[in-house]
Amino acid sequence: MSKSDDNKPITAKKFMQYFRSYEKGSITRRHFLGVTGLGTAMTVMGTAMPSLWSGKAHAFGDLGDRMVFSTWPNYQNQVNLDEFSAMTGVNIQVNAFGSNEEMLAKLQAGGTGWDVFVPTNYTISNYVALDLIQELDLSRIPNYDPDANNPKFAGPATVNGKVYCVPKNWGTTGFIVNTKKIKSGPKSWKDFFDVTMGKGSGHTILHDYQLTTIGAALCALGYSFNSIDAKELAEAEALLIKSKPHLFAITSDYQPGMRSTDAWMSICWNGDGTQLKNDMPEMDYVIATDGGEIWTDFYAIPKDAPHLDAAYAFINYMQDPYVQARDAAVHGYAPTDSRAIALQPDSLGSDPILHPAENLMNGLEFGAAQTLTDPIRAEVMARFKSA
Amino acid sequence: MKVDNKPGRWLTAALLAPTSMWFVFMLIFPLIVILVFSFGERAAVGGYAAGFTLEQYANLPSRLKAFQNTMVIAPAGTLLSLLVAYPLAYYLALRVSRRFKLMLLVLVIVPFWTSLLVRTYAWIFILGGRGIPTLLEFIGIEGVRLINTPGAVLIGIVYGYLPLMVFPIFVSLEKLDKTLLEASSDLGSSPFKTFMQITLPLSMPGIATGCMLVFILLMGEFLIPAFLGGGKVFFIGNALVDLFLQSRNWPFGAAVSVTLVVIMLITVSLYMRMVMRSKTGRDESLM
Repeated sequence: MSKSDDNKPITAKKFMQYFRSYEKGSITRRHFLGVTGLGTAMTVMGTAMPSLWSGKAHAFGDLGDRMVFSTWPNYQNQVNLDEFSAMTGVNIQVNAFGSNEEMLAKLQAGGTGWDVFVPTNYTISNYVALDLIQELDLSRIPNYDPDANNPKFAGPATVNGKVYCVPKNWGTTGFIVNTKKIKSGPKSWKDFFDVTMGKGSGHTILHDYQLTTIGAALCALGYSFNSIDAKELAEAEALLIKSKPHLFAITSDYQPGMRSTDAWMSICWNGDGTQLKNDMPEMDYVIATDGGEIWTDFYAIPKDAPHLDAAYAFINYMQDPYVQARDAAVHGYAPTDSRAIALQPDSLGSDPILHPAENLMNGLEFGAAQTLTDPIRAEVMARFKSA
Repeated sequence: MKVDNKPGRWLTAALLAPTSMWFVFMLIFPLIVILVFSFGERAAVGGYAAGFTLEQYANLPSRLKAFQNTMVIAPAGTLLSLLVAYPLAYYLALRVSRRFKLMLLVLVIVPFWTSLLVRTYAWIFILGGRGIPTLLEFIGIEGVRLINTPGAVLIGIVYGYLPLMVFPIFVSLEKLDKTLLEASSDLGSSPFKTFMQITLPLSMPGIATGCMLVFILLMGEFLIPAFLGGGKVFFIGNALVDLFLQSRNWPFGAAVSVTLVVIMLITVSLYMRMVMRSKTGRDESLM
């Protein structure tokens, strides 16, 4: 495109040319969005000029003009969302949440208006028990390939033989260390708490999330990440309260603190580990030798989703391997889908933070459903925070 | 004309209906729900299960620290806001020329056009290690920690609530009869004495209103302590957010709410009585 053309809106004819070549796969989606200006003007195109979508667009049918997507912060590539809107005319309202509990509380209260949301493995059986999510009609998600997904990760989606969701990404919960500030090289949760109450006093962040924070304390004491044993939890509570004066903060939004170097260590999800290391090479992501968490996030549809067709179309779109790879390129978490992993650049496909060696993950546990809902854990966390 | 004629009464009833409905459905009804919940039990996966137990109220001491923090920092924040807001309101009401008054008033409101959440988030970076502490290092003051301390929370409170304090004080100073000030100085009072005997007493209604507005809102504050206190300065508002959204112990959350409402009722009525007593003999209305 010559420079003078840049300022002019694209003509309908030219747009269709680009659209056809995009359909044929001769140009990339990013290029397509770039040259057509859809990246920014997608909603206008999608809704005000439906006649342009003579070809492929009809395959989507009438999906309405909006949907609500509830997910986690820094967890999607905006280009994907924009492209979906451009192709279907469905505008996506994104809600970012801080915890699974918060999502569960909202869904339990009812009337959320959500169409698609992103639960983590250990919540799914609870949602099913509370009759809050729909069984999925996999024929409406042809892009999802069960054979391409490691059953280790996709397993929790099936409850009582019925599939309730499809996987999004998986990852680990370990900790991040600023090696310029902490040179002792902590390897375990025990080291983590020792450094917190020793040389690193005043510079550690624990999550504002009972699952990971109590889990870390339990591992440091040699117990299971998922323990709901009252005695073990009491010990974990004592450790947490003892460490509290030495903490920089209790927050799940730990990137700002780590980036400003106010904090030197934090419990960390591996995608954030990648994002931090990309910008600050001195950051080391550690999978603790004494345990920790491994998890999968899924796409699911609430029982009362108001825009069901759009929800299915969206999930199907997000399961496209290319779209998954492009998503992962932004947020840093690994896809579960081998087709998407194959599309990732080598640097990501073999990244030790995203795809750790199997032996490192031996000690890790999937969070259990009762870990999330256990009243003692909830109360331990609340007492720790108000201590 | 008779006041209690029939159409008139109907009209009164019709005009009052929306307010009464709002009052019943938005205030009384939810309060009853909270009261009922507070005697219930936590359901197995969280939420509310019917029951009648005093267990929730017996558990209140476990949130003592949160109540204490709130009962210390809320009044302190109110007082600090007053100390910062009064000179500003005084300046705006009595010192600025008419030309600039409106513009400066608008500037006080401007921050309200952006969400408090966004503005408070910005303070994380201002108070964080690469913000003010780095500037202080340039002038040789090292090792200052601001973020995630009670001090940071107080700064956030003063910043966020300042306009709520400035405006009532501004209004009461604005309508102050300037001839009184002239009379006072003509009769030989020093400026300080004039301020203490004329200006300050006459602006008391504004101070009382501003303090009450700020104090009531502060008692329920959770955003500023969460962001600027780093989860370490824990208010009763944070305990409530936790109980309803994290641990989903709605009955206990309800019991904490009921307790907070009771504390507020007592505090505010004591405060009102104090204010009323201090202005006996003056017929200026409080609000």
